[in-house]
Amino acid sequence: MIKFNNVFKRYSGAKDILQNVSFEIHSGELVFVTGSSGAGKSTLLKLISAIEKPSSGDIIFENQNLSDLRGVDMPYLRRKFGMIFQDHKLLFDRNCFENVALPLAINDTTSIDISRRVRAALNKVGLLEKEKLMPITLSGGEQQRLAIARAIVSRPAILIADEPTANLDKKYADEIMNIFYSFQQVGVTVIISSHEAPKSPIRFKEFHLIHGELIKPQDVSLLS
Amino acid sequence: MFHYFHNHIQAFLRAVIRIKSNWPSSIIMILVIGITLCLPATGFLLVENASQLSSKIEYEAEISIFLDQTISQDQINFIGSALKQTSSIEKVNFEPKIRAWEKLQEKLKINSLDAGISENPLPDAFFVTLNTLDNNIVESLHKDIKNLEGVKEVIIDSGWIKKLRSILYLIKVGLLILGTLLAMVLIVVIGNTIRLQTLTYQNEIEVSRLIGATDSFIQRPFIYTGIFYGLGGSLVTGGLLTVILELFNRVAFKFESILGGLIMLTNLPPSKYIFITIFAMALGLLASYFSASRSIKTI
Ligand SMILES: Nc1ncnc2c1ncn2[C@@H]1O[C@H](COP(=O)(O)OP(=O)(O)OP(=O)(O)O)[C@@H](O)[C@H]1O
Ligand SMILES: [Mg+2]
Repeated sequence: MIKFNNVFKRYSGAKDILQNVSFEIHSGELVFVTGSSGAGKSTLLKLISAIEKPSSGDIIFENQNLSDLRGVDMPYLRRKFGMIFQDHKLLFDRNCFENVALPLAINDTTSIDISRRVRAALNKVGLLEKEKLMPITLSGGEQQRLAIARAIVSRPAILIADEPTANLDKKYADEIMNIFYSFQQVGVTVIISSHEAPKSPIRFKEFHLIHGELIKPQDVSLLS
Repeated sequence: MFHYFHNHIQAFLRAVIRIKSNWPSSIIMILVIGITLCLPATGFLLVENASQLSSKIEYEAEISIFLDQTISQDQINFIGSALKQTSSIEKVNFEPKIRAWEKLQEKLKINSLDAGISENPLPDAFFVTLNTLDNNIVESLHKDIKNLEGVKEVIIDSGWIKKLRSILYLIKVGLLILGTLLAMVLIVVIGNTIRLQTLTYQNEIEVSRLIGATDSFIQRPFIYTGIFYGLGGSLVTGGLLTVILELFNRVAFKFESILGGLIMLTNLPPSKYIFITIFAMALGLLASYFSASRSIKTI
């Protein structure tokens, strides 16, 4: 489904952030991208969702080379991903409901569907009773969950979460991880970056990055 | 089709929310458009009124027809009845040369003998009042009468109306040029305001794009904002024009006796107001379309 062939990435002249990265992610897999701060995790996720372009190498998504993708097709590609950004990227001038509704508005969903699906997504992350509040009044963990609700509301086939449990205590972190696991259980491809792989007894793939190099190739960590 | 309308309704609502949330700058923008458009519109209103006035005067235009000295009474009768049968002629007045001579003598207080003029030098003449000043009709009438046997000279007394008309026409052209220049200024001003707004919503634009919004989705609310400004501006123009008119007419009413008649300005017909509205909205659309699409690409 997603394939990297010898991908290099450098931002404007500096050193390579990602070096010769190759891997493949199949539909329905749970993938952890791990590594310390600055290792290039966010960069890798941005390449997958075509927010950034590789400096060299090929990224193939559903048999299409992303470098062949025309600009006008980009929005339709993005809609296939549910993205949870490291900095959430919530809109602070809209309330929780409106934040979660944004992808649906972009996707042309009709208004009856919108409120039903927004509430379902908010319910899933436990924020249903806060739908009228502005994001600024939410705690850090609640903002994190709001970002997750926005990513899942359009029921994307691929969820990409950049450190979704950073700044959360273990109880909340586990709760949020369980949300992702439940999505993977129903066939969604889930790609999560975090400093380290989870200890929970679950089956996943780990891509471990050290200074931009993929040290542990895929399917090394298969806990059951 | 449904999605299309749904999209537009959504964008429209978002534009309304944005206009409400920065209403002070929206009001300023609308006033700027309204007052700017008011300038050429007021000029146009005055010209329209002047043209109406001039078209009333047109009915009093006259043609003077001077006949040959040697003309026979039969010929005079023939010309007279021919003139009376012409549809564009309102009134025919015959003045025999004797009467004209008497009038002249009276006016100059001379006696033919005193002056040493033994013979009446004046011709018989018809004075004809027209019911039209359509240039084509007048021209062809002039030619037809001139070709009649026994007619020496035909003079159209409408030259000054023609002058007035061409002056009004020139003023109209001037107003059109002024209007075009002001429209260009407005496009720049509206465009700049919309560009500043895209910067205000930079964050929202960025996020929307990251989760799959197309450029047209992003720019639609801004375009509606521009159209809204145009609509608001045209309403301000209409309001201002009506106030100006009302004030003028009140003043004119006070000076009725001095002016020797009531000079009342009439308001522009609804069709002109609809034109102003559509024009202003089109300006807003053009300005916001170009500025939003350009600005969004750089975000
Ligand atoms: N837009 C950018 N321009 C220039 N350099 C960048 C840019 N984004 C990231 N980098 C650099 O790339 C390197 C990897 O960044 P990245 O965000 O991918 O790391 P990360 O693994 O996600 O780290 P963290 O765990 O802190 O989020 C960093 O050294 C960073 O400075
Ligand atoms: Mg990161």
